[in-house]
Amino acid sequence: MGLDFVGQGAAETDGNIITTTIDKVVNWGRKNSLWPMPFGTACCAIEMMATLASKFDLSRFGSEAIRFSPRQSDLLIVSGRISIKMMPVLKRIYDQMPDPKWVISMGACASCGGVFDTYTLIQGVDQFIPVDVYIPGCPPRPEDLIDAVLQVQQKIASGASPKGVEAVYE
Amino acid sequence: MSEENQVEEQPTPLILQKLEANHADALLAHDETRGTVVVVVRKEQAYAVLEYLKTDPELAYAFLVDVTAVDNSQMESELMQFDYARFMVVYQLYSYQGQCRARVKVPVHENDLNIPSVTRLWQGANWLERETYDMFGIHFEGHPDLRRILMPDDFDGHPLRKDYPLRGHGERERFNFDKQNA
Ligand code: SF4
Repeated sequence: MGLDFVGQGAAETDGNIITTTIDKVVNWGRKNSLWPMPFGTACCAIEMMATLASKFDLSRFGSEAIRFSPRQSDLLIVSGRISIKMMPVLKRIYDQMPDPKWVISMGACASCGGVFDTYTLIQGVDQFIPVDVYIPGCPPRPEDLIDAVLQVQQKIASGASPKGVEAVYE
Repeated sequence: MSEENQVEEQPTPLILQKLEANHADALLAHDETRGTVVVVVRKEQAYAVLEYLKTDPELAYAFLVDVTAVDNSQMESELMQFDYARFMVVYQLYSYQGQCRARVKVPVHENDLNIPSVTRLWQGANWLERETYDMFGIHFEGHPDLRRILMPDDFDGHPLRKDYPLRGHGERERFNFDKQNA
């Protein structure tokens, strides 16, 4: 977690003093309170809803505060097919999210177009927005989405920048 | 259609009887498939026939279920009899009164894609005709608002035409963010 307990020895301070860095504390807070912005456009969104509901319960991992306003969220979950008419909307929503922000591309369609290799479908949203974690599957099980959220958490805890920030400074 | 059929299924032949009596010159062909009467109608009289089917008190095809089209450009022979029309505009009708369906097909030639809009008969035709316009490029004359409904406004081409490539002309790689956001 990056938090080290010190102060062993003296009885009155034993375990009561914590040393860390500001970054680590902030990241620890961020990672355990991700606020997802759901962008569900197709069948994958059904699995996302299942993940959020009581049976799989994403709130066990601190990510249950779904925000339907991009301005209040820091995790974009793209779940479903994105058409060329929808892509500008998705891009605008991504742009409206405050930094730092992470993106999960959920399912085959969002990641690469899936079986829909047609004139109207974006063949992977990562052509237009930076994606941190991809989930394979059609549709992925809720466990897969939970795993992706945990991977985002690991990434945050490790202090790595989101893909979007890397893209800006590269 | 055989004689027994006419006796058994009263509502089905009625439409043909009445059309033959009142709009014989508009009828190009007719057929029956799974209890649905299919009539092929000349474009010039299509509006009159549809109006007749809707307003005739005995037929009363009050419900326009769907408007769509078929691109026959890669189909052999079968439709050549209507001196080869590339498109068929298809109207699906339902009569609450007779509890039966009817399908009206109208051949539309590629060099004249205009056809009268039926929005004045059925308000619900508005979006159906817009979709048919979007997908096939059929031009519905007198439609109050003939814009694309599914594809982006600046989209080029009509994707359900048979000569439109499955993967498009590269629209999915090079669409314009700014224009669509404006
Ligand atoms: S990946 Fe499969 S389940 Fe997900 S949106 Fe595409 S078709 Fe639907």
